[in-house]
Amino acid sequence: MKFTCNTKDISGAVGAASKVVNAHTTVPILSNVLLSADGGKISVRATDLEVTLEHAFPAEVSESGSVTVPAKLFSSYLGNLQAGLMELTGTPTRASVKYERSSYDFHALPAEEYPPLPAAQKGQNFRISAKRFRDGVNAAIFAASSEEARGAVLMGTLLEIEGDSITLVATDGYRLAKYQTTLESGISGSEKYIVPSRALIEAARNLGGAEFVDVTALGAQSNQLMFSAGDASITVRLVDGQYPNYGQVIPAKFDRSMTVSTPSLIAALRRAELVAGDRASMVKLAVSNQTLIVTASSDVSGNAYEELEVEQQGEDLTIAFNARYLVEILNHIESAQTVMEFLGPLSPAAIKPVEPTEGAQQLYVLMPLRQ
Amino acid sequence: MIAHFDIDAFYANVEIRDNPDLRGKPVAVAGSSRRAVVLTASYEARPFGVKSAVPLWRALEACPDLVVVKPNMQKYREVSHQIFAIFERRGHPVQGLSMDEAFVDFGDCTLDAGRELAQTIRGEIFEECRLTVSAGVASGMMVAKILSDSCKPDGLESLAPGREAEFLAPLPVGRLWGVGPKTQTRLQERGITTIGDVAALSDERVRAIFGSWGMELRDLARGIDRRNVEPERETKSISTEETFEYDVCDEKQLRELLREQALELAQKLEKEGLSACTIGIKIKRADFQIIVRQTNLAEPTMDAQQIFVSAVHCLQRAELGRSPVRLLGTRVASLVAGEPKQQTLFAGSLQ
Repeated sequence: MKFTCNTKDISGAVGAASKVVNAHTTVPILSNVLLSADGGKISVRATDLEVTLEHAFPAEVSESGSVTVPAKLFSSYLGNLQAGLMELTGTPTRASVKYERSSYDFHALPAEEYPPLPAAQKGQNFRISAKRFRDGVNAAIFAASSEEARGAVLMGTLLEIEGDSITLVATDGYRLAKYQTTLESGISGSEKYIVPSRALIEAARNLGGAEFVDVTALGAQSNQLMFSAGDASITVRLVDGQYPNYGQVIPAKFDRSMTVSTPSLIAALRRAELVAGDRASMVKLAVSNQTLIVTASSDVSGNAYEELEVEQQGEDLTIAFNARYLVEILNHIESAQTVMEFLGPLSPAAIKPVEPTEGAQQLYVLMPLRQ
Repeated sequence: MIAHFDIDAFYANVEIRDNPDLRGKPVAVAGSSRRAVVLTASYEARPFGVKSAVPLWRALEACPDLVVVKPNMQKYREVSHQIFAIFERRGHPVQGLSMDEAFVDFGDCTLDAGRELAQTIRGEIFEECRLTVSAGVASGMMVAKILSDSCKPDGLESLAPGREAEFLAPLPVGRLWGVGPKTQTRLQERGITTIGDVAALSDERVRAIFGSWGMELRDLARGIDRRNVEPERETKSISTEETFEYDVCDEKQLRELLREQALELAQKLEKEGLSACTIGIKIKRADFQIIVRQTNLAEPTMDAQQIFVSAVHCLQRAELGRSPVRLLGTRVASLVAGEPKQQTLFAGSLQ
């Protein structure tokens, strides 16, 4: 195999692919990226057997073929090259690079040993605007669990597709994020997929700059999803399991609410949290007389008191939250004003933007702290 | 001289103190969940077999008149602070074992002086907190604790230095520190039933039976107790571990032990009103290599099931394969006071 390409093209593709490589893998070939040259194009592939990323870029191919090179080493090397042309020659055991007046030989592993692409039987497919995809991933997945011990289902994000509507849901059991928007082209009927959240992060990062993202179910049991845009694609093995019935924990009706300036509330909570100290980061919110009073205290640090003007509807309420959770939710609300809806001090609260982003609906549910 | 103090039926007596209607009745302090266990029982309830760690439903079955009071950890913690302030009043080193139990090192003094000091402290606690305390005074920590256990409630017992071996000899071997119920059964099979039997073992036998800690254990059995009172009261972590009689390869058996240990730790956490953010396990393989794995939780827990699930997760991460295991332990750390508690969206259904 032999080709000549632009250093920036190959550096970008290998850099993106190397993010998928598991640094702790015990299978040597999985530390490598696969470069395949064919018909004027080079494709770069990396996998950890759960997530597979493929990126292609144009090159002048003089001899087609494939080679695998250590991902981290090769991407660091490429990152240190200036813009220009380089030539790569691959054999089963070696990848040789010529760039300006330098030449490097990298140890390679035979390309035949690289895991083949997942089964290609295609199922349902839909198309979403890349911007909405990026917004949805950004708005939802922070609420997914990061605790492996709690299982892959909660670490995943639910994609619910019904006709031309898509809903992304993530929850760790304490808070829940839900983002709903319209697809460019939908499916007939409905589908549910639980996608490992890190795959969605990679997909948003690599495909978010395009105009559209195409999503295709793969495999006889539709146990994989492929996200693709232009010359890049990400294929992910879906989580096998039952997603919790989230609809049932979102109250249908609330009896009290307040509307508050998003940045002011974030600032007040951040200051109060400093005093709240211990792990639970407890802040109390008392709504009364069109005023919100935020308090926190700890034996070690002292007391915090913040007053904010709000638009209150319904009865007065005092409720306690983990400040960290609440701030994290508010940080994902772009609207200048946020509305919080309540049922009582121990019931779930809903948090949403007063002016949602056009074409999308965003909702968060947060459980309070019992004092 | 070292004194061991143990408040009698701590939680129960605090409740009785604050609600005189309970006086003379069988009282148990316990949570209200389906799996609640008795945290403390008053002395009136104990003849019915109602004591710490007994499931509440069973306690109610054995003693239908039992008055069950919900625990008020914040109050117990406050009372505990008050009591520890009394222990520390004269500048002696104090080592807390739990909210209601501590060693106090009186330094070099005669037995009589030690008894007198212990009596004064018991008096102050009764005067200021209206609670009775049992105390043991001896040259070493283990004997002091055995003495205070034996004179409950509201007692004071002491032992003259030099008489430790004689005092310990007839006691069952399970009273020795470090000898749990399983080791005790194992020892009984070898004809070792009393502490005196351990004291009489030869160097070779003691090493053969107990391994490297054998000499230390035999010293303890002979009344030689070298440990010092270490003044640190705050619990940083709680752990439990067990050495298998035969090395274990079977993952199912390991999980079973983790389940038992999770239950034990959950009860201790509940008793102390603490929750843990870190769950870890320790494995000693047959080749004596030690493997430690731990995991952090987003929300602190005192729930046995959650501790168990996290411990199993750690076990999987240890990637033991089929290598034989000699010792397995569970540890909970990053402890925080139990409340406030984050409510969950899907009550219980995610476990």
